[in-house]
Amino acid sequence: MAWIVEDRLKPYSPTRSEPYLSPAIRRQVEEKYFPRYPNKRAALLPLFHIIMHEYGYIAPQAIDEAAEFLGLARAQVQDAVSFYEEFRLQPGGTCVINVCRSISCELLGYHAVLEKIRQTFGIDPGETTADHKITVLEVECLGACEQAPCALVNEELHGCLQPEEFVRRLQELSR
Amino acid sequence: MAFAGPVLLKRIPADPAQRKLYRWADYNATGGYEGLKKAQSMPPEDVIKLVIESGLRGRGGAGFPCGTKWTFLPKDVHPRYLAVNFDESEPGTFKDRYLIDHDPHVLLEGIAIAAYANRISTSYIYIRGEYHRQARVLEEAIAEAYAHGVFGGKHPGTDIIHNCYVHRGAGAYICGEETGLLESLEGKRGWPRIKPPFPAVAGAFAKPTIINNVETLSCLPAIALHGAAWFKSMGTPSSAGPKLFGVSGHVHRPGVFENELGIKMSVLIEKYAGGVKGGKYKAAIPGGVSMGILGTDQYDAALDFDIGKKYNVLGLGTAGVIVMNDQTDLVRALRNIVRFFAHESCGQCTPCREGTAWMHKILNRIVAGLGKPRDFDLLMEVAFSMGAMPGTTICGLADGANWAVRTFLQKFPEEFKARLKPQQVGGVNITPVAVAV
Repeated sequence: MAWIVEDRLKPYSPTRSEPYLSPAIRRQVEEKYFPRYPNKRAALLPLFHIIMHEYGYIAPQAIDEAAEFLGLARAQVQDAVSFYEEFRLQPGGTCVINVCRSISCELLGYHAVLEKIRQTFGIDPGETTADHKITVLEVECLGACEQAPCALVNEELHGCLQPEEFVRRLQELSR
Repeated sequence: MAFAGPVLLKRIPADPAQRKLYRWADYNATGGYEGLKKAQSMPPEDVIKLVIESGLRGRGGAGFPCGTKWTFLPKDVHPRYLAVNFDESEPGTFKDRYLIDHDPHVLLEGIAIAAYANRISTSYIYIRGEYHRQARVLEEAIAEAYAHGVFGGKHPGTDIIHNCYVHRGAGAYICGEETGLLESLEGKRGWPRIKPPFPAVAGAFAKPTIINNVETLSCLPAIALHGAAWFKSMGTPSSAGPKLFGVSGHVHRPGVFENELGIKMSVLIEKYAGGVKGGKYKAAIPGGVSMGILGTDQYDAALDFDIGKKYNVLGLGTAGVIVMNDQTDLVRALRNIVRFFAHESCGQCTPCREGTAWMHKILNRIVAGLGKPRDFDLLMEVAFSMGAMPGTTICGLADGANWAVRTFLQKFPEEFKARLKPQQVGGVNITPVAVAV
């Protein structure tokens, strides 16, 4: 990197006494990921994937804990984490729907899918329902253009979406 | 030119009902890992020579000769890394996902051959974060390969142990750019690096690194087994071998199809993808949105690495063909593409960060009916000024935006000009900038 990182980012005040990086997560990273790379820093993405999988978002406190765990400045961790769209810094609903908005999905009508979601759940992209069950997001190409329009619901791909049917499926999934 | 039958898709039948995931036993029972055995019976230098002779060019977008890339590694500098580019984020591209969904071991065999030829210590498969299922499939296949000694052992005649791991990205198109990928692999933001030094000299963790696409590596088992002449018997003199083509958009049967390089796009659309849906053919993107667009009179374009010079597009790219019928609003289509680049620009270089965002704004106002006559030339001017080829940016992302905009405007000027008119308030010309979309 072409500059020096000076760590002036103040620690976030902890929001919960129990650490986000539980002993089990630490052990998993130490045993599975540290041996894969020549330095600890490279385990940053795998670590935050585990945190995303466990908690659904990345709490500020988790960034502090990760910095200490990986031996990095907090600014370095924040710098990397904030770059990646999949690492969400705000909590979302139990069902996070990533609707693809790229060209093949636009040609085949992703707008109708979003419109149906808006009518049914009353949310626009970027919003979460009041009961914290559903979050809808627009994302760029999901690499499933032959199944356009498509969406990623949590970690599962749903393709060839029919708006009516998809919304019914979401109601089942979020129940 | 002779394409006798599928090479990469030989384990994936056209009928969806018959497709399945090939695990270790199935893969081995169908000639799997024979190519690796053959390669390991040769000296590593001969494997590199074989790949050079085969004429295999990179399938990830740039089309760089694979074997030649390997020769850039400095002699006797270790450890060396192999980074497998499975970021596949270019809109319209899904061929690698389709391959790994069914046949992950063909990639692992290719990795093992490349690693043997180049004395690689560690191979990292950089897979995009959205591919949850494929990451699991690969993890399982790698575990099987370790259990059978493909990975984790020494390269014959050396003390170099070869390991292979999956490394997941987290939703950033730019991490498919080779040096952005390396930054991301090191746990940093995926900002492309200024070259030189090239990755072959100082790549991942400042060590010599090769970066190859999934499909490129998946060609290696067949090349090792059947030889360079067999591989070159397919395709054209400058574009050898079989190729995966993804077809999406307005077609009846979208999907991934295999044929030799040089196949006509019209044949691909009609014979394989079931023809154009909802109207007549109007335009198509030949290989991911970065490549620009093929016009209505370029339906018969030959899909090979020479496509750029012949048909005024950037290149073959990833061969992810996006078909548009005559009902398509090309201004909206271009706006979608430019928004993609504006959203995915990493923000390091000003021409790309600002240029893509401004082109998006201009296209927004044209779509809203507020475009001015001068906007046509303005879009052209902004587009032509950005990219690694005009020499104003570090990486090629801006070239993609540049070629998308310029080819749409050059090939379909009337579509855009019909939407432009002087915008006046009280008899004074104005420039609407902010348009709510």
